[in-house]
Amino acid sequence: MAGTETISSTFIEYAIFIVLLPMLAFPIILFLGHIFNGNQKWVKSAKEGGLIALPIMVASFVLSMLLIAEFIGTGTGSHHIGDWLSFGWMSADGMTINEKVFGVGIYIDHVTVMLLFVASFLCMLINIFSIGYMNTDPINDNRNHRFYAEFVLFCSGMLGMVLADSFLWLFIFWELMGLCSYLLIGFYYEKPSAAYAAKKAFLTTRVGDVFLVIGLVMLWNLFDSLDYAVVFNEDLIAQVDPGQLQLALGMMFIGAVGKSAQFPLHVWLPDAMEGPTPVSALIHAATMVNAGLYLVARMFPFFGAPGMHGELVDLAFIIAAIGGITAVMAAAIAFVQDDLKKVLAYSTMSQLAYIFTGLGAALWLANSLDWHTDDKAHAIVVVAFGAALFHLFNHAMAKGMLFMASGSVIHEMHHAHHDMHHHDDHGDDHHDDHDDDHFDAQSMENMGGLASKMPITATAMLVGSASIMGLPLIGGFWSKEGIIANAWRVALEDPRFFLPAACVLIGAAMTGFYMSRMWLKTFAGKPKTEVAANVHENTPWIPIPLVTLTFVSLSSVILAGMMFTHWAGEPNGGYAFFGEKGLLKGLIYEFEHVFANSDAFFFVLTYVAIFIGAIVGPGLAMALYGGSLKDGEKAKPWMQPIINLSSRVNAKRGFDNSAWANSGLSNALKERLYFDKWYDAAMLKLVAGFANVSAAFDRKVVDGTIKTIESTSQKLSTQVRRLTTGSARDYIMMAALGVLVIYLLLGVMV
Amino acid sequence: MNIDYLSLLVVLPILASIFLLILTSRLNGFARAKFDAPVRMAALIISLAMFMLTTLMFLGQIGDVGWSNIAFNTFEFQESYVWIEQLGITWTVGVDGLSFPMVWLTTLLMPITIIATWNEKSGATYFPLMLMLGGALIGVFVALDMFMFYVFWELTLIPMFFMILKWGGKDRKYAAQKFFIYTFTASVVMLLGLLTMYFLMDTQTFNMQEMVVQASGANANGVWLGLEVQKVLFIMLMLGFLVKLPAAPFHTWLPDAHVQAPTGGSMMLAGVMLKMGAYGMFRLPISLFPHALEEFRFIVMMIGLVSLVWGAIVCLGQTNLKKMVAYSSVSHMGVILLGIASMQPLGWAAALFMMFAHGIISPMLFAVCGAFKHHYHSMEIGAMRGMAKHSPWLATSMMFGWMASLGLPLLAGFVAELMLMVAYWHAYGWWIIFPGLVLAITAAYYLWSMQRTIFEGGEATQPPESLHGDPVPDIDNSEKIAMLLLAAFTVLFGIMPWIFLDMMDMWTRSAMAFLGLGGA
Repeated sequence: MAGTETISSTFIEYAIFIVLLPMLAFPIILFLGHIFNGNQKWVKSAKEGGLIALPIMVASFVLSMLLIAEFIGTGTGSHHIGDWLSFGWMSADGMTINEKVFGVGIYIDHVTVMLLFVASFLCMLINIFSIGYMNTDPINDNRNHRFYAEFVLFCSGMLGMVLADSFLWLFIFWELMGLCSYLLIGFYYEKPSAAYAAKKAFLTTRVGDVFLVIGLVMLWNLFDSLDYAVVFNEDLIAQVDPGQLQLALGMMFIGAVGKSAQFPLHVWLPDAMEGPTPVSALIHAATMVNAGLYLVARMFPFFGAPGMHGELVDLAFIIAAIGGITAVMAAAIAFVQDDLKKVLAYSTMSQLAYIFTGLGAALWLANSLDWHTDDKAHAIVVVAFGAALFHLFNHAMAKGMLFMASGSVIHEMHHAHHDMHHHDDHGDDHHDDHDDDHFDAQSMENMGGLASKMPITATAMLVGSASIMGLPLIGGFWSKEGIIANAWRVALEDPRFFLPAACVLIGAAMTGFYMSRMWLKTFAGKPKTEVAANVHENTPWIPIPLVTLTFVSLSSVILAGMMFTHWAGEPNGGYAFFGEKGLLKGLIYEFEHVFANSDAFFFVLTYVAIFIGAIVGPGLAMALYGGSLKDGEKAKPWMQPIINLSSRVNAKRGFDNSAWANSGLSNALKERLYFDKWYDAAMLKLVAGFANVSAAFDRKVVDGTIKTIESTSQKLSTQVRRLTTGSARDYIMMAALGVLVIYLLLGVMV
Repeated sequence: MNIDYLSLLVVLPILASIFLLILTSRLNGFARAKFDAPVRMAALIISLAMFMLTTLMFLGQIGDVGWSNIAFNTFEFQESYVWIEQLGITWTVGVDGLSFPMVWLTTLLMPITIIATWNEKSGATYFPLMLMLGGALIGVFVALDMFMFYVFWELTLIPMFFMILKWGGKDRKYAAQKFFIYTFTASVVMLLGLLTMYFLMDTQTFNMQEMVVQASGANANGVWLGLEVQKVLFIMLMLGFLVKLPAAPFHTWLPDAHVQAPTGGSMMLAGVMLKMGAYGMFRLPISLFPHALEEFRFIVMMIGLVSLVWGAIVCLGQTNLKKMVAYSSVSHMGVILLGIASMQPLGWAAALFMMFAHGIISPMLFAVCGAFKHHYHSMEIGAMRGMAKHSPWLATSMMFGWMASLGLPLLAGFVAELMLMVAYWHAYGWWIIFPGLVLAITAAYYLWSMQRTIFEGGEATQPPESLHGDPVPDIDNSEKIAMLLLAAFTVLFGIMPWIFLDMMDMWTRSAMAFLGLGGA
């Protein structure tokens, strides 16, 4: 990449411990848990492994921060640890055999730095949350060690994927995460739905992974290597056939589609909500779904290389188009979800799609503009790429918080329900209290009016929702504007991009609607059930990550002022708090750029996006779902005005919702646009049917032919028939006789 | 003092086995039962000693061999004795980068199999047979004399035949018979090929090393024995090895043999015996007839591809756990043929590493199947659900084995699959769609079976009827030890594949250079 500095570092040699510590904690927690399961000390002091995992994750985080401090905005670095596989490779002319190597090592640049912070920071916070969430629910008793063991392995997979110095090791850790997500989604293995969801997640992502593998071997064939140090070399890229490279990258992109749950491989993600809520936070915010984005972001050097100028725009369009389609589709399905976590799941899908669109636009720009020599083009490309990565950051923080907040709500709903129904009749906790009388603690139909009862959670949810919606000045606003603007910037050049550009613009309004709907249904209005009226917020540990992330999301404006998009978009992009390029200057620049763009088109576009995302969407949601709290209850002062407003808007609404609720489109959305049904039917009827026929064919025809030959020969020759007596002694005799005959034969011949 | 360690590895277990069999055969049933425990202990000690020996050989404590520098057609620990002088038949042993991993694998699996089937009934006969099987298998791998090779090749059938016949399931007679006739017929074809080759040679010899030298000398200036003859001989030899492998369409003996065989028999059968076929291909037809291989490479590839895809699809249609695992072996053995047909050193190394990795993983799969049958008295997928609840050890072992078999990274199987994919794309381009498809199908059948065994149910699940109301047991300690060991080695060779891959790599590189193969 242009002007990349390679810097020497001290911490990079220890970076491997960021991955190794959690990986080694996996067997330790599992082993200790196996031995001490049920022991009071293990439950109380070690939190069944939670307090073993926490210091490990803190250590990983601290090490990550030391590494980030060295590399942030300064350049790239790599550390070769060793050769993993070395092998012979026949040259094309068949004359010489060369030695080739798959190595292993650490690679750090701006993308790594960003992802490393997101992963290590969120993993640590989710660990804190888990101690509050998992260890206070009787259903998890005596198996939390399994949760923490799988949790640390998962974190290890994510951190390893981010730090790897080659596409091969990226893939290896990618698969490790796939395994952990399978185990964690199926954590409540006794529930058939969890078993089904785990299988579905693994198989769907596996389909993508197959293409990823094919893409990787194609890439290997082009470069004779998968190391970043080699494949990102601009001179080598210039020698490669662009068509082949585009195909290889396209195959790899299908892998990213599976992992990041994009259309048409998106079906696994909503079902993955069967796992415990910390797992949802882990998979949907911090880690697994970001893996696909990371893979696409890693392709940037191919698109940015001068030798590929204008050759890869088709792939950039496909990436953006898949993103655009998914953004609208997922947002639409989120309209009708009543399950709190499912709304968040579809929201995740939709927001990831935004990032894909942003990346697609950035890759298009990098591939088409002459950004190596032209300063203006350079700034456009860097900011476009940085905006997509910034959205990844904002979304991860906000969505991690939202999932943990939803976990907090569900947890307290459970406890309230448990207290009300099990208080008198029996003192002992039953494991099956999740199932009895079918109370759904996740359904928003059972909630309402929680704002006054759960102030911390409600605030976190409010800030998180605002960040996702892109309300001006909060969190995701800064990055979302960038994505929409850049999609349109490309659309002005390449008309194909009108599809994704229009999608992300419409999606902004849809996001405003479904996020507001979720918040209002949960926290505003009157409690819809007796349980919701008796909720209290009193579980330890849970507020820590919520409060932390609330402040992170709110302080996104500072990151924007620190020119986040610049140093996230370029290895030596530079950042500063003070001085020439200090915070104040940066803020003024950002505000000017966003709110007073000199280009008339982008000026209008920004205000249109703000208008529909922050006013139209939420306004509709308020009209439909708004309402005041129960008389005499008051939320915190920063939430009460919103609730009052929603109640006023709701009172004035002039349209009836029932026609829409019963429409065909609504039903189709409730059925998730039938994708799951079709896929299941195809698996059951086509694949399973074909397999059964094949199995029968193998038994009857393939084996049958052999049997026929055998029985025919038996009929033909009584001699043979007599020999196959089934008696072991006869067979030994035959074998011995055979050897003897050969022996004699040889003797005669020689 | 110069000890012939390789001959010791072959002769010791076989002699011990014969001694133990004769010793106990004179006793009546009741007295013999008393001998079960001491015989079992003796078998374990002998097999552990063999494992120690091969491990020390590998570590350089015995013999001080630079394992990763053994070139093609040079052998270590080579010893030769005259056996039948008039015919020029000798007892010649030696190991190289191709055979040593297999020898080590055999000595590793013998004690593990003995431990895994610690409570097998009629142990006084069973464990000696296990020793004999191990000795015969090592004999196949170390033999450098064609006659000796064939003798041990046939000898492996005998203990396996009795194991299926005596300790097998209810259709054991049919399965044993099928197993014997099938593979015996194939090896007769192979034998005819070997003899024809012998008589056509310029200087008649049974020594494989000399044969390779002779063949390569002639191949360098033309085609040894003429291309047509090479082709015919290649087909005859390959036929014997393909049945053993087994490759489609000659694979149907395997599911029957596996389903009926006792656990220990299945573990050795899948772990080492199948690899005899692949080993034989490399040792004889490929080393002797490189021109024929180049002629037939596409057909070899197609046979491998059909085995791979067909095996996987049929797996998906199985309801019997052990049958599914057996068909997955067919599928995985197809990979070896694809590796051979890629004509890249990397592809050959992938084939060799697949032999090794599958040799560690598949015994674990069959140990799991055996434990399933042992404890639940049923082999049907779905007969026992919610294993994670009441049999966490078996559930964990199963998940580990299944994941290793479907090619999860950092486990041994992945290394072979990765190498194969790279070599295969290079050689055959878009045909890679089919192995890719199999990656997905493999995941599908394994996950499908786990969903119906490990997951679901829990407390709500009733134990299967076959348990007759008894409490549901988890695996016992001997099975736990065996599975832990196999899992540990799977991880070890997944993270550090170079332990054996280096010598395989050297072998394949020097073999391709020596044979003058390569080029598209």
